[in-house]
Amino acid sequence: MTVQLVADRAKVESDEELAVVEIDVADVSIVFDTPKGQVVAADRVSFQIMRGEFVCLLGPSGCGKSTVLNTIAGFETPYAGTVSIAGKAVTGPGPDRGMVFQQPYLFPWKSVRSNISHGPSMLGKTAKEARAIADDLIAMIGLSKFADAYPHTLSGGMQQRVAIARALANRPGVLLMDEPFGALDAQTRVVMQESLLSLWAQVGTTIVFVTHDIDEAIFLADRVLIMSAGPGRILRDLRIALPRPRSSEVVLHPSYVALKKECLDLIRAESLRAFEQQAVR
Amino acid sequence: MTGGQTQRLNTAISILSIPLFFLAWELVSRSHIVNIILFPPPSVVAVAMVEWVRSGQFAIDLAVSVYRVVIGFALGASAGVVFGVLTGQFQLFSSFFSPIFHILRPIPPIAFVPIVILWFGLSETGKIFLVFWGVFFTVWLTTHIGVQKIDRGLIRAALMLGTPRRRMLTEIVLFGALPYIVVGLRTAVSISFYTLVAAELAGAFAGIVYRIEIAQQNLQTGQVMGGLVALGALSFIADRGFAAITQRLVWWR
Repeated sequence: MTVQLVADRAKVESDEELAVVEIDVADVSIVFDTPKGQVVAADRVSFQIMRGEFVCLLGPSGCGKSTVLNTIAGFETPYAGTVSIAGKAVTGPGPDRGMVFQQPYLFPWKSVRSNISHGPSMLGKTAKEARAIADDLIAMIGLSKFADAYPHTLSGGMQQRVAIARALANRPGVLLMDEPFGALDAQTRVVMQESLLSLWAQVGTTIVFVTHDIDEAIFLADRVLIMSAGPGRILRDLRIALPRPRSSEVVLHPSYVALKKECLDLIRAESLRAFEQQAVR
Repeated sequence: MTGGQTQRLNTAISILSIPLFFLAWELVSRSHIVNIILFPPPSVVAVAMVEWVRSGQFAIDLAVSVYRVVIGFALGASAGVVFGVLTGQFQLFSSFFSPIFHILRPIPPIAFVPIVILWFGLSETGKIFLVFWGVFFTVWLTTHIGVQKIDRGLIRAALMLGTPRRRMLTEIVLFGALPYIVVGLRTAVSISFYTLVAAELAGAFAGIVYRIEIAQQNLQTGQVMGGLVALGALSFIADRGFAAITQRLVWWR
């Protein structure tokens, strides 16, 4: 027994040398009060995400994956359990966690540059510093020509790229993304996924990415956490060991098919179950 | 007809529209179908207007009327924006002020003329108060709605970027509400002219509407219509001028 404990500790220590836990979601339950009574959106959800990891939360619509993300962001308070970032408990939204929403939610009265420099200037950077940060990011997302443009003049894909740059401007340790490409057409989507990966390779931020699209999850992630519906639970923690850098040809990789089948089977069963639950109600 | 021809025809008709209106008016007035004293032709109106300007009285009337509208509008609009932001942003203010404003708002401002005369006599204060009263509720309501309708997504984005809650108002809420506020202000421009009419009719010593009333008492119908033309032109210029300003105010559109 003692030997076992020592061995375990040694294992933990060696893991810690390799990776630091950036996000710790511990036994989080989230309950919503609705006119029809209480709804459990997440039921004792636990997972850890290592610094620099790219993790996708995958599940059928309505499974509570966005709710879990909003809890990490600090927009929702858990009913039970805790969320901590780099060991510090989350008590509300903050600039250590950048977020990209389903809609770009750019400030329409600010130019592309001012949207991106808003965060740094709120954190006390001088106008000059904030502008320099913004211009670097604008170059990284390839929109230098549009630095002075207003959001409504940009396409949906461009707006979402600005939203990503804005979320990165405070150099957050964590980037939270809530189906950010869901509203884009299929072609733009693929381009956005590829540019997100190259951006991630440059900044190295920990990313939690919510999606219901299996291909998107496998293409992007180091790990895919598959969630079940009603109430939301983590069903499977799937490691995606596909080589990086990844291109759209990753679908031809032999293990891709096996990973996709595993996801498909789980999601299908979950969607069916959720559908039947709704029918019973 | 091709699309281009239809468009040219419509342009031609729209150019002719107003001259034809004046021509028809002139002919009807001089045809003895109507009493020319009561329904003077545009030529007589024009002469009366030239006379009005030459006598120097027009400049005084115009200045006095513009002064009442501008001061009343500025006071009403500023108070409306301030209270709209307060009630839109802070539930406590809304719970207290909104019911009061909602019972006062439906009373037509013109109905306050008698009590305003009792309070302020025929002074300028009373006239400015009436314009203020008309402008305030419109601007308050649109500002309140504008502040309330701000997309929660924008607020969340601002919080996520580290915007302190105490700066949310000046950084996000005011700009988000601006398109609504501007619509309210523009509506209030025409309301300020309605209330000006009521204020000057109730008793004044100068002003465009005052001049219309005096001319009516002297049966100077040309001057009466000249006054109407001047008032229409003034209101039109104010509205267009304001539309130009609003485009600058909501610069990102």
